[in-house]
Amino acid sequence: MNEENIKKMDFEQALKSLEMVVNELEDENISLEDAMEKFEQGIKFSSYCLKKLNEAEKKIEELTRSEDGKLIARELRIKED
Amino acid sequence: MMSQQGLQKTKVYTVSEINLAIKRAMESSFFNIWVEGEVSNFYFHNRRHMYFDLKDEHSKIKVVMFYQNNKGLLFEIEDGMHLMAKGYVSLYEKRGEYQIIATDIKPVGKGSLILAFEQLKAKLEKKGYFKKAYKKIIPLLPERIGLVTSTGGAVIKDIISVLNRRSDSYHLLVRNVNVGGAASCDDICSAIDDLSDYEVDVIILARGGGSLEDLWGFNTEVLADKIFSCRIPVISAVGHETDFTICDFVADVRAATPSVGAELSILNKIQTAEQITDQTLRSKTIILSKINLYKRELDYLINRKVFKHPRSLIVQKLQTLDELGANIRNLGQYMVRSKKDRFISASYKLSGRDFLGRVKNKKLILAGLSSDFLYRIREQIAIKKAKIEVLLKGLQTSSPAAIIGKGYGILYREKKDICLNSLEDVSIGEIIRVLLRDGILLAQVTGKIKKNWRVENE
Repeated sequence: MNEENIKKMDFEQALKSLEMVVNELEDENISLEDAMEKFEQGIKFSSYCLKKLNEAEKKIEELTRSEDGKLIARELRIKED
Repeated sequence: MMSQQGLQKTKVYTVSEINLAIKRAMESSFFNIWVEGEVSNFYFHNRRHMYFDLKDEHSKIKVVMFYQNNKGLLFEIEDGMHLMAKGYVSLYEKRGEYQIIATDIKPVGKGSLILAFEQLKAKLEKKGYFKKAYKKIIPLLPERIGLVTSTGGAVIKDIISVLNRRSDSYHLLVRNVNVGGAASCDDICSAIDDLSDYEVDVIILARGGGSLEDLWGFNTEVLADKIFSCRIPVISAVGHETDFTICDFVADVRAATPSVGAELSILNKIQTAEQITDQTLRSKTIILSKINLYKRELDYLINRKVFKHPRSLIVQKLQTLDELGANIRNLGQYMVRSKKDRFISASYKLSGRDFLGRVKNKKLILAGLSSDFLYRIREQIAIKKAKIEVLLKGLQTSSPAAIIGKGYGILYREKKDICLNSLEDVSIGEIIRVLLRDGILLAQVTGKIKKNWRVENE
């Protein structure tokens, strides 16, 4: 699986793949060569997932309706105590 | 006796007149009264006007509550309910029946709000609104978190500070609403609609604690319907831990407080992040231990003799080869011999098949065995003898007699037959005996010289 294919996955697919790879790695009978390959794949999945997780930029907005009924999101500042 | 004239003077009412007169009398004497009793024959005409009887053990009275008075009623009236009705007594002239016109009704024994809450809860439960099967799961990655609350209160600050503490990547969309009292219900419903339209991934409904009246907006059937039909997961974070609202029961997740609600909205995300980190770590551990294992195996192989001393292995193999060759030769010879023997014995057996011959044969074997036995006993005796001789020789060389023969003497104390061994065994002036090869000397101790050669005299 190359990186292009991983990028096409959605988050939950990548997470499942990561889980599968770790399970396969845990099999004692896996050869060193296969293990190295799985490991490399696992690292790709994990970094993709972590990237996805932290992708969202921190934003706090207030949702209101304009006069013509459209929804508008504007930045909201709340003073923390 | 009543005269005709007297009758003429008496007022004669029409039916309408008398009913009207009675109605006026009733309305002025029974105004703003409370009547308590049990409901029976309840009838809700077109869901507008309510008709029922209030009764006690001995008596009953008709009650009517018109739409303009009952539209604000929170709970539903049922037969058998114990109620207090406020109003006035009036007469329905058309039928000449009197009844209470109720303007307000309260349940006896508990508050209207509590009763209404219980009734709505039972109704929604029956409709299946609280079933686990309908609860939606909060997504792993809520990219947009919708929040329905008042932007003026402390609740929003709590929520933001929890989100900040737990994550530095979230998108919060706040829809400001009035969260107090029954009127808040419509506001909250349209906020849910707006956030749904904006396609948030999860909606938090939040407000601080309060009385049943304060929280009433969250106890309405309208809001319950709205939450139930909402396609986005809803977290109810209303009031304190001890406050329960209908909203709590219908929502997909109930949070004890607004802070907990904020926590729950991103909990899956946080746990997922932890899970990913954990799995990455596990893969690393596995691969490292695997590499180490192979490394050890390789080290072990490299240290094997074959790599360190290849020559010795070849020498060993050559030796084994030699041995095998010899074995094969021996085996060949043996096999030839044994075939020969078998041939001879077989031909012998064939020639001497008589019984006597066999007996002779056994006798011969027996004789051979007994001579062998005798030989062994003799041998054993000879070995034992030789051993004894050796022992005797050793004994002779170490015996006192043998020592004296070599020019040594043995010292005894005169009186007791004890050998002298130390300076301490005798005192100066004592007579001692010296045993020699051919007799005994009597001698007197005149002094002692210790090992350090210091002379001790009298």
